[in-house]
Amino acid sequence: MIAPFKWFTKSAIYAKYSKDPGNMLVHTGVIGWFLSSAAQIFAIAINDKISKKEKMFLIPQEIADAVVNCVSFYAVTNSIKSVGKKLTNTAKLRTPAITKLLEERGLILKKGAERAKDKIYAGDWNFNITKLDGYKTDIESTYKPFNNGVEVATGLVGSILSSNLITPVFRNYYAAKKQKQLMAYSGDKPNAPVVMPKVSLAAYQKLAASKPYSGNLKV
Amino acid sequence: MVSINFISSIGNSFKSAYNRMPSMVVKKDNIINGVAYIGRKWTSPQQRLILGATAIVMQPLIDWNNKHVDEKTRKVSVARTCAKIIAGTATGYALRYGFIKGIKAFSKPLSEVPKDAKPFAKKMMTWLTPKNMDPNDMDALDQYRNAMGTIWSLVAMVFTNFLIDAPLTKFLTNKFIGYQQKHEQKGEIKQ
Repeated sequence: MIAPFKWFTKSAIYAKYSKDPGNMLVHTGVIGWFLSSAAQIFAIAINDKISKKEKMFLIPQEIADAVVNCVSFYAVTNSIKSVGKKLTNTAKLRTPAITKLLEERGLILKKGAERAKDKIYAGDWNFNITKLDGYKTDIESTYKPFNNGVEVATGLVGSILSSNLITPVFRNYYAAKKQKQLMAYSGDKPNAPVVMPKVSLAAYQKLAASKPYSGNLKV
Repeated sequence: MVSINFISSIGNSFKSAYNRMPSMVVKKDNIINGVAYIGRKWTSPQQRLILGATAIVMQPLIDWNNKHVDEKTRKVSVARTCAKIIAGTATGYALRYGFIKGIKAFSKPLSEVPKDAKPFAKKMMTWLTPKNMDPNDMDALDQYRNAMGTIWSLVAMVFTNFLIDAPLTKFLTNKFIGYQQKHEQKGEIKQ
């Protein structure tokens, strides 16, 4: 089978996403935004009630929206989700049931107790609950529901921040800049009226007389 | 090299600061159960709905306060943003929800297939059941169905985005622009 199609087989999807719902939300979210933006650009282009000038803003706005949305959705959502995952993976954030399981293994550093040299405790950066002996049999059923929930919740917070805050701010800034450029290129009048300085006839005559051969204008 | 040492010393300081941070134990049962529920039940349709609900609160406000463009463009932008969110959320939610429900019917584990089912019915019921599934982990099967349903809905969106989303966004945008103009004439919306 051709490599990319292998990713979408039943077994591949089961192996990748059945234990990691947070990741599925991020990956499908990015693809969803991309497809949605393509359709929206089409919608603006065919809308005859939107003027050419407004289209000059809205189309770049949509392109910027697509690019910023996809990039920020992936980067921000993934980063915030990773923070959540790190907190649960290292057992820095845990439930009393997980604490009990770790206490039984002597992995919780009690308050005021001396830290044993070279020992990695629960809550340490290098601690990984999923790598403990007997994780599958004793810990997974207690840990996994909490971890999945934290991953989905943090992923959702990340996607709200990226899609509803970061993207609109950046796309508006970019689209406004692009609109000005496109309007200048097409010769359209800028939005604000241009105020030309008033020149008196005497001042004009004086200026013309001082530069009789300037540029193309010959007086 | 100095730069590598510098980066590694920053990394070590960060790690030791993380290690010194007190652990957080969530003690309330309703929070623990709520978090587990989110992981189990909040799949892509729910995510799309929540994103849409927060978007309709936040995005028009950002567009309304965009001082980089003139007022008329800003108003069209607000109208289109609202229309886009409503159309996108409605179709996105419906498609994801429908496909996930549909996939469920075609991805039954063998234990759920009636013994007296005809060969064709049996084949259809297990058409999308993954061969590598763990029969003891129904939660994993549910997550797989969510992922498969979402992927299928994305494929459908290639068409529905153009056939439903885009015309619906256009229709709603024009409705909202008309609403703005009507109220501007009445002097209810500040010029």
